[in-house]
Amino acid sequence: MAPPPPATAVVDTLRPTSVPRDSRINVDIMAHTKGVQWPYFLALGAAVFGVIQAVLVLAWQTYAGLGVAGYQAPVFWGVYIITFVFWIGIGHAGTLISAILFLFRAKWRNAVNRGAEAMTVFAVLTAALFPLIHIGRLWKFYFLLPYPNQRGLWVNFKSPLLWDVFAVNTYMLISIIFFYVGLIPDIAVARDRATGFKKIVYTILALGWQGTGRQWKAHNRTVLHLSGLATPLVLSVHSVVSWDFAMSIVPGWHATIFAPYFVAGAVFGGFAMVIVVLIPVRRIFGLEAYLTDYHFENMSRFILLTSLICGYAYGAEYFIAWYSAVEYEQTSFWLRAFGPYWFSAWCMILFNAVFPQLLWFKRLRTNLPFLFVLCFLINLGMWFERYVIIITSLSREYIPAAWGLYIPSAVELSVLAGSFCWFGMWFLLFLKIFPVIAIAEVKELAIHEKEHGGAH
Amino acid sequence: MPTLISVFDLPGDVASAVRKLKNRGFDDLTTYSPAPFEEIELAEDVKPSSVRLFTLIGGLSGVFLGFLMQIWMSLEWPIKIAGKNFASIPPYWIIGFELTILFAGVFTLLGLLMMGGLYPRPLDKHYCQRFSAEEFGVVVRCAERDVAEVEALMRGESAKEVSLADA
Repeated sequence: MAPPPPATAVVDTLRPTSVPRDSRINVDIMAHTKGVQWPYFLALGAAVFGVIQAVLVLAWQTYAGLGVAGYQAPVFWGVYIITFVFWIGIGHAGTLISAILFLFRAKWRNAVNRGAEAMTVFAVLTAALFPLIHIGRLWKFYFLLPYPNQRGLWVNFKSPLLWDVFAVNTYMLISIIFFYVGLIPDIAVARDRATGFKKIVYTILALGWQGTGRQWKAHNRTVLHLSGLATPLVLSVHSVVSWDFAMSIVPGWHATIFAPYFVAGAVFGGFAMVIVVLIPVRRIFGLEAYLTDYHFENMSRFILLTSLICGYAYGAEYFIAWYSAVEYEQTSFWLRAFGPYWFSAWCMILFNAVFPQLLWFKRLRTNLPFLFVLCFLINLGMWFERYVIIITSLSREYIPAAWGLYIPSAVELSVLAGSFCWFGMWFLLFLKIFPVIAIAEVKELAIHEKEHGGAH
Repeated sequence: MPTLISVFDLPGDVASAVRKLKNRGFDDLTTYSPAPFEEIELAEDVKPSSVRLFTLIGGLSGVFLGFLMQIWMSLEWPIKIAGKNFASIPPYWIIGFELTILFAGVFTLLGLLMMGGLYPRPLDKHYCQRFSAEEFGVVVRCAERDVAEVEALMRGESAKEVSLADA
């Protein structure tokens, strides 16, 4: 072997660094953060309008009192609690995709995890508003927290409602941390290509990320640990929410099946929301090469599985009500299907347990317009599920003389609509600032494919 | 000190180059990668990240503080509920569990920031935006007499560009 040339000679032979090139993946995925797309701005305008009307309505409710919300004996948990449970559930699919599928090394999640994680964060932020809206006196919300006060009064740690405060806040913080940690490498991609004010913001948020070995090592371990933490957390959160009901002795609520039933329902509704959100995003921003039919088909399979679990839970509830021979339970479930709220109960059964069975057909699992409509109906069905659980049980408890009828007021429906707009507004703003697909994770697959061949 | 910057296309080549550099005693090196690749991580350092210690300390702090808070506050304001003890352990597992996760998660984030050296700061002098595209970088600081050896090694491992800085 010839001896190496002297260093000075090497300097002469080294070529200068070529002009920086960008990767196709960066360009494609970051495209939606740039430019003007009219459908996007129309949607954002509508969302902001919806939020403003809800804020005005809430101001009116705060001034006039909770009476305008349609609460009257015996129903004091209405649309606000239903919507709280609905939005908490929506977040679950994001955590399942980010954490549980990560632990199972399901690589297909790489294309959809960012959008689902964002959805989780915004859904939990939306849900967290509703207990505050529900208490009416918004400024008293801190009573929910254990804080030192001159009365020496502490909260009741044996109450499921307090468990909920800790569970939901933990879920919100961990979801935000998980979301941000995953975003850091992609913010660095944006930073390297931005100019002006955007560059300053991205530079601060990227925290000096350069993709060094040391950084990736810490990042990989962090994502692994957060996944391990988020997995039991996500199962606990909706279990705790279900115990808000199941720990009481109200007919229709006092059931041991509630925790798994709620968790399955949450994943079911969450996946449906991911599909409802990602189908238009894919279409408007031209992301067909990254969000493929394969991804939607896999999500459809989850929907089918969790629909079967929900359908089983619905059946089990009816069976146990009959088999228990407790007349209050039997009456409660009879009234669900044939009482004054029959419409919501049949919407729940049809949209959540019957229609999703069409997903046994592969042709329908990959038919995006069909999936969009089905998932929209599933979201409607999941909202009605919580309506059925909460309203039918509260309005028909033990003493017929105390029975009542609950009809949501216009104020509640305005706030409900506002919650969708609030969620939509944050998601749309997110789309203009951060990549909706995890760039680093897609590159990981693409580079592996380049190196080893084969498809992921 | 001379610094050699090499650009690669594939993570396997980077891992191979890093292993050879380390075998020859060139430990003062930094890799840049657009995505996480286990082979590079293992070539650089097989020890697991210390982030795990942060998670462990956070989790233990959370469970301890969670129970401590509940037991202390329950005894401070004793209310008899459903015949249970003032400080009743079984229902306290729920908040104890949530705080375990919360503290472990927050400490894990702190671990990432500390172990990854993540804080708003100027980027490395040799960092290039190509490394956030689809190319890999290996930056080696070596003595002047070793420049030729390192350069030959890099080219032998399919480096598509090698340039010298700080000569």
